Amino acid sequence: MALTLTCPICGERNGYEFRYGGEEKGPRPEEDGLTPEKWVEYVHMNECKAGVQEEWWFHRDGCGSWFKTFRDTTTNLEQKQEG
Amino acid sequence: MTTRFNNLPTLKVDAGEKVPFTYKGKKFYGAKGDTIATALYANGIRIYARSLKYHRPRGFYSMDGECSNTMMEVDGVPNVRTETTYLKPNMVIKEQNVKGSADKDMMGFMDKMDWAMPAGFYYDVMHKPAKIWPIAQKQIRKAAGIGALSPDYIMPGKYDEIYPNCEICVIGGGPAGMTAALAAAESGKRVILMEVRPWLGGNFEYRSAKYADGMSYNERAVQLAKEVEACENIRVFLSTANVGVYNNNLVTGFQIGEEKDVFTERYVEIRANSVVVATGCIERPLLFDNNERPGVMQAGTALRMATTYGLLPGKRAVFSIGHDLGLEAAVTLFDLGMKIEMLADIREDGQDPELEKAIQARGITLLKGWVAATANGRKQVQSVTMTTVDGTVSRDIECDLLVASAGFTPLTGPLVVNQAKLKYDSHTNFFLPTDIPERMYAAGRLLGYEDGASIEASGRVAGYEAIGDAAKADAAKKALSELPGPARGCKLINAPVKGRKSFICFDEDTTIKNVKQSIDKGFDVPELIKRFSGAGLGPGQFGIPGHNLPLYTAKYQAQPEVKIRPTTVRPPLVPTNLATYAGTNHNMFKITPIDDLQKKDGGIFRNIGVWQRARYFSNDLTCKAEIENVRENVGMLDGSTLGKFRIHGPDAEKALQRVYISDMSKCKDGRVKYTAMCNDDGCVIDDGVVIKNGENDYYFTTSTGRAGQTVEWIRYHTRYDGWDFSIVNLTDSMGVINLSGPNARKVLEKVTDTDVSNEGFGFSEYKEFSIGGIPVRAMRLGFVGELSYEFHVPSSYMKSLWLMLWEAGKEFNIMNFGVEAQNVLRMEKCHIILGQETEQRTNLLDAGLGFLWARKLSEWKKVGAVALRQAEGDESRLTLVGFKMENKHRAPRDGALIVDDKVRGYIATARDSFALGEAVGMALVEKHMSKVGTRLSIFEDECNGNLIYGKVVPMPFYDPEGKRMKM
Ligand SMILES: [Zn+2]
Repeated sequence: MALTLTCPICGERNGYEFRYGGEEKGPRPEEDGLTPEKWVEYVHMNECKAGVQEEWWFHRDGCGSWFKTFRDTTTNLEQKQEG
Repeated sequence: MTTRFNNLPTLKVDAGEKVPFTYKGKKFYGAKGDTIATALYANGIRIYARSLKYHRPRGFYSMDGECSNTMMEVDGVPNVRTETTYLKPNMVIKEQNVKGSADKDMMGFMDKMDWAMPAGFYYDVMHKPAKIWPIAQKQIRKAAGIGALSPDYIMPGKYDEIYPNCEICVIGGGPAGMTAALAAAESGKRVILMEVRPWLGGNFEYRSAKYADGMSYNERAVQLAKEVEACENIRVFLSTANVGVYNNNLVTGFQIGEEKDVFTERYVEIRANSVVVATGCIERPLLFDNNERPGVMQAGTALRMATTYGLLPGKRAVFSIGHDLGLEAAVTLFDLGMKIEMLADIREDGQDPELEKAIQARGITLLKGWVAATANGRKQVQSVTMTTVDGTVSRDIECDLLVASAGFTPLTGPLVVNQAKLKYDSHTNFFLPTDIPERMYAAGRLLGYEDGASIEASGRVAGYEAIGDAAKADAAKKALSELPGPARGCKLINAPVKGRKSFICFDEDTTIKNVKQSIDKGFDVPELIKRFSGAGLGPGQFGIPGHNLPLYTAKYQAQPEVKIRPTTVRPPLVPTNLATYAGTNHNMFKITPIDDLQKKDGGIFRNIGVWQRARYFSNDLTCKAEIENVRENVGMLDGSTLGKFRIHGPDAEKALQRVYISDMSKCKDGRVKYTAMCNDDGCVIDDGVVIKNGENDYYFTTSTGRAGQTVEWIRYHTRYDGWDFSIVNLTDSMGVINLSGPNARKVLEKVTDTDVSNEGFGFSEYKEFSIGGIPVRAMRLGFVGELSYEFHVPSSYMKSLWLMLWEAGKEFNIMNFGVEAQNVLRMEKCHIILGQETEQRTNLLDAGLGFLWARKLSEWKKVGAVALRQAEGDESRLTLVGFKMENKHRAPRDGALIVDDKVRGYIATARDSFALGEAVGMALVEKHMSKVGTRLSIFEDECNGNLIYGKVVPMPFYDPEGKRMKM
């Protein structure tokens, strides 16, 4: 509930302004030779880590950018990375 | 009206300013600054309500909303806590839960029925035989329950919300909260101080006793409040109750508006880096027989009634207390003219010597080790049976007020809801917080401090800790260690009586006897007793029984103290109006640029997504006239809600290739390209047209419902590619007019010189020209199946263009048509609407849009393509078909089921078509039923078990060659 996120453009903002965009899984796979299993793995399967995971967020009520950040799913706190 | 003190420095009422109100139909006057409860008290009201179960008379007992005794209906709102609600002019106040009146309640005999209603009696008694329960339930419901609300009641007032941020949030504006805020503010950081009362000062504020040489507690409170108010980086929220504290120090509450405020109440949600909880204490009730009879009052309540509200709560009082504040109250009230018939302290020793001296000096006898056993008097206290704590000696004393209080209860709610634990502390007899979460600190009386200087010093410690200033915090801790520590708490829970009429919870009428019954039945921990006996389930949110229940449970079972566990506290810590949570008016809809014209023309509006649109233009909801006029003459539709976007930049086309299912390199200048977007499961999520305006510069439309997510969608699916493009959402800055019908060209020719003949501006073409000087983007589309133009213009020109076309169309019988007419017109052509002919699981192929898919372009990694390849040839999927009804004019409802031995599909849209003279529609059915000629059996709620039948026919139904839209 008390999520606060850091948008690379707008800075630290109330979590209500953002939309969750899923875990970081890398770019879309090449389609040649892609098996249904691999595809489903990419689109639907999640790690659901209990701990710090990298994920995508969209600043919906702000600048409208997608960005990646780290969040501890056990505390719902953003983990700011150094540098 | 009783006379009031008018010259006490602690007063918060202005007795000179009278406030009129109505109580039980009669007019009364309170004073400015009164709560509803004090205004009633001033007018001689002593019985405020009848209790839930036994209909016992209840009166003014507490002042912070701990119990339901003083709940009333105010201005039609039930269950208003009148002891914390301030009087406003012309309030209409009524009693609740009475048959007759609170004074003479016809249900009063229930008090004698308690033998028939042991704890949990409705679980035990009323379920055998089973058929008795509905009858019993009805009777219980009639007798019990408080307050009534009609189902169509609309809450009056204005509700708002506010979401401030700060470095330190201090909950509680008493002495500890103020010193914490001041200490934290020294750093220059932003501090929020929230206080439930309309003024700062907490437990110092109403006390005229000596704080230090030459200064009273009240003067000290005023001094601190001035310092807080003068501090620029402390923002004070008064009249703000704390409701919850959540993970990561999110603090919620609600604020009651003052007269000058634009809100009646507002929801407050604070994001704080650190939180200091300095909420202080309420009083722990003393349990004895009839301990809730009107005339029994807590020590703080009696004191505040006099010092804050100027009312002497009684003329002849007996005190049965267990703490120094009780002694102080006796001294103060004596000085204000109250006769003290007896002052009994539960404690044998440990009293403040200065207070003892003051008591002696006034000639009051202080009896130590004495306690109230029974309050006598049928409706109000007339005398008290006092006894020694061991119960061996007793004496009856006449009085009209019994001040009773066993000890204090720390308000640890804000800590506990944020996952702090509680541990029993033998010295204070408190459940003290342990395992307090990070960046959260506790201070003041809730830790057991009673000495004024100690309370303030503990606030300072918390304030410095909250800003992370270790040096200052250490110094403050050292100062605190040199002051008196937490006071020893009185441990007595109940007087030496059996407890049949000793109420541990007022709201639910739970007695000591009920608690014993629960334990004897095996419900032996507070969490279970609470649920079985109801103790603490009432509106007081455990204010009365919260502390006594676990103490008593342990005592009755002879448990060692360490095992005592209070019940779990959950938000809301204070009862909150749903209207306050709802906040400001969220029913906000967008209106189109010609909303006023559509209204003037008789449009009947409906909420469609985020918009309000004209759905009908007459009370004939079949829209016959609108539909026929489009088929025969010409109609105009306001299509401004359509999503409209520009995408441009070097990689704009690449982005379109990714999200659209067609080959977007095939967009040609001057042509309109119809295409669709899928999600990664191949399901259709959007359809619209794309127009190429130049190299890597496109204008495209989306369905009304998708406009809000389109930018997000395109950027999401290109987030790894680093492509350079910009998207501009033009949805609100452009309006759309749809001109449709066989006469549409004749209308258009009247207003423009551009060649709009079928040769000059053919079907599926795009053209930019001007109409009366207005730049227009025009498309020839065929959604409704007739000759049709769609004009996209800047919103500011919409009205002018509309009126120009309207004027030109008059001779051709131009009329409005609304969303429903359009729905029928396009259905006759089998043009789909996403969400109507499709649902979340419908993919591009199911919807019959497979022709749009450029299936070979795998290098673009089109969204949906992989899933579509896998779904191709899947026989188990539903597919879209057209059908006609056997009973010609009986159209099934949208959403009706297609069944045989199981559900095989459902009706998407069906209407009795005027153009075709029969009922037709589209449905999603299992593939094996999609062949033309298949009989469909349709079930709907209205068919009374008699199925209705249709058969699959080729699509579209109307003008299958499409000649009319291409003419
Ligand atoms: Zn942003």
